[in-house]
Amino acid sequence: MTAVSTPGGMQPVPEDQLHVRAQIGEEILRVDGLTKHFPLRGGVFNRQYGAVRAVDGVSLTINAGETVSLVGESGCGKSTTGRCIVRLLDPTAGHVYFKGHDLAQMSHRQMRQMRREIQIVFQDPYASLNPRINVNEIIAEPMRIYGRYKDGGKERVKELMRIVGLNPEHGNRFPHEFSGGQRQRIGIARALALNPQLLILDEPVSALDVSIQAQVINLLEDLQNEFGLAYLFIAHDLSVVRHLSDRVAVMYLGHVVEFGTKHEIFENPTHPYTQALLSAVPLTDPRMRGKRERIVLEGDVPSPSNPPSGCRFRTRCWKAEDICATEVPELIDRFGHGHPSACHFAEPKAVIRG
Amino acid sequence: MGAEPQFVDAPTGVADAEPLLSIRDLVTEFKTPDGIVHAVDGVSYEVFPGETLGVVGESGSGKSVTVMSVLRLIPQPPGRIANGQILLDGTDLLQLSDADMRKVRGKDVAMIFQDPMTSLNPVLSVGDQLAEAILVHNDIGEDAARKRVVELLELVGVPNADQRFDQYPHEYSGGMRQRAMIAMAMANQPKILIADEPTTALDVTIQAQVLEVLQRAKQETNAGVILITHDLGVIAEMADRVVVMYGGRVVETGTVDEIFHSPKHPYTLGLLSSLPRPDVDMERLVPIPGQPPSLINLPSGCSFHPRCHLGEGRQTCRTEIPPLFELGPMRASACHFHEEMEDEIHRVESTTGTAIEGDEA
Repeated sequence: MTAVSTPGGMQPVPEDQLHVRAQIGEEILRVDGLTKHFPLRGGVFNRQYGAVRAVDGVSLTINAGETVSLVGESGCGKSTTGRCIVRLLDPTAGHVYFKGHDLAQMSHRQMRQMRREIQIVFQDPYASLNPRINVNEIIAEPMRIYGRYKDGGKERVKELMRIVGLNPEHGNRFPHEFSGGQRQRIGIARALALNPQLLILDEPVSALDVSIQAQVINLLEDLQNEFGLAYLFIAHDLSVVRHLSDRVAVMYLGHVVEFGTKHEIFENPTHPYTQALLSAVPLTDPRMRGKRERIVLEGDVPSPSNPPSGCRFRTRCWKAEDICATEVPELIDRFGHGHPSACHFAEPKAVIRG
Repeated sequence: MGAEPQFVDAPTGVADAEPLLSIRDLVTEFKTPDGIVHAVDGVSYEVFPGETLGVVGESGSGKSVTVMSVLRLIPQPPGRIANGQILLDGTDLLQLSDADMRKVRGKDVAMIFQDPMTSLNPVLSVGDQLAEAILVHNDIGEDAARKRVVELLELVGVPNADQRFDQYPHEYSGGMRQRAMIAMAMANQPKILIADEPTTALDVTIQAQVLEVLQRAKQETNAGVILITHDLGVIAEMADRVVVMYGGRVVETGTVDEIFHSPKHPYTLGLLSSLPRPDVDMERLVPIPGQPPSLINLPSGCSFHPRCHLGEGRQTCRTEIPPLFELGPMRASACHFHEEMEDEIHRVESTTGTAIEGDEA
């Protein structure tokens, strides 16, 4: 296996340690400069004339047992980042180190072994389950692929259904016989089948009604406590992100613009985009109405095929000056605020409660 | 800003004003191969001029079908408005001829739909569609209509309105399309403005812009607004009064402050305790167990009883359909045991670690 030492990160663990559960708090995933460009082609010779720069140099780390959230609006590249990490998409550049081993450099055969440890749960519980096989088979499929079904697979499927709160007697039913929330539980059971260390959760509760959403959120919390799972939680709903996360990365147009603990991001945001985002979230308290300052952004998100020069947020930013058009702000803690922020004029400001 | 009154009351004088729109005992059903779907089952509520009435409920609670019945946009068959009255200024819309009803739609009652991409015609320019809405109800020339449309587009914050007039829906972004929809709905100074999940398809920063425009549209027309959404945050920001629906029935009504800070129905409380908050850390969510009911086979008695913690399977809940108990002016709950809600709120608060009742001062 490719053993590349990770800059600033841990040394690659020996191969026999790869599938051993990391201690809680130990770094298990380091994403470094991850980039994904989708080519734009056209014309008579179908030549490439440009690229959608969906993800452009994303770096972050995840420790065992913690939840890191990627939050941002549609088109910011959060889902593409998740898919690149498990190599459902091949990154254009950058590295994804799982316990020090670079997933981005692995062959498909090597990657397949690694996917036992990194599983993904998708947003749409209707499209992500094969409608023609029953639930037992859906959950058993990963075990069959990895040759683990023969010893005790049947029992394991029943156990998994119980763990996610489904009745094991319903195992011979088909996906259409379940409601949205139950299907999402099936997707989670399938992801857990191989006992992974990291789950990529791509908007897992966005399609659910609020009472059902709360059931699934509680389930995710319980599973994390029980199995010491690490989550990369991809979502646009800031309330859910606050409830589930330990650390939060805010994305805008393919860049991480701010990264910090939940408390730092929600109570002490320093990037103007984070501040605008938080000030736009409606609070579920009518008594707060009109009492907080709302930062209303002008216009829409620019096209990722032709992003603004320098800071990508500058076209909608009220703080923008000349330097913002010429120099890309690095994601660093430049004024000692305690967490990195990619803004030349980063400044803490509590916005959520006004 | 700090000196404003803490309570968000219904606009003054609402209690003794005449309602603009009054829905009475509305029953709307759909025939399906599996049986009759009782989508709306005896719904009554009223809308007063200048107020925003929020209607909340999860998918299948009947909130959209109710307003589609108001506009008589229920496909018949399979749908059927089986009972009820819809009084707009004293006229029962359900008794109007089709021709007269067409004069009401888009004039007296206008609607903003969730998805502006499917509700705008893709082969007509946005400006022409807005002009059409004006020309259908007003005898003015095309030039005058164009002028009015440009005014409307400027009012809802579409930049370069004059050039944007000739653009097609695909050339507008999602937020801009929804602004155009609001402009169209405002075009004839409607008495009732219905917004059905107007921001659900939008990102949060765009949602904030569109809600602001909606607020402006209300002030401009002094219409009564019916705001339908599953997003309690949007309700908390926008509504004066709230109607909570479950399984095709109204289960609670009250001012926005009453609904959020002293709910009198366990379903309303369940919604609040299921909801993570952006401004406060919650220890643990308290979801509503189980699934929403089948509208073909509603549970007996109170349709919420299989999921209810307060009822605990008491006989009354299982056998008797609770009426909407009047608890005060414009305040009602359809729970047999609404008097026990205070203890129930405390039970939930001890799990979530956040206050529902909150400080009133």
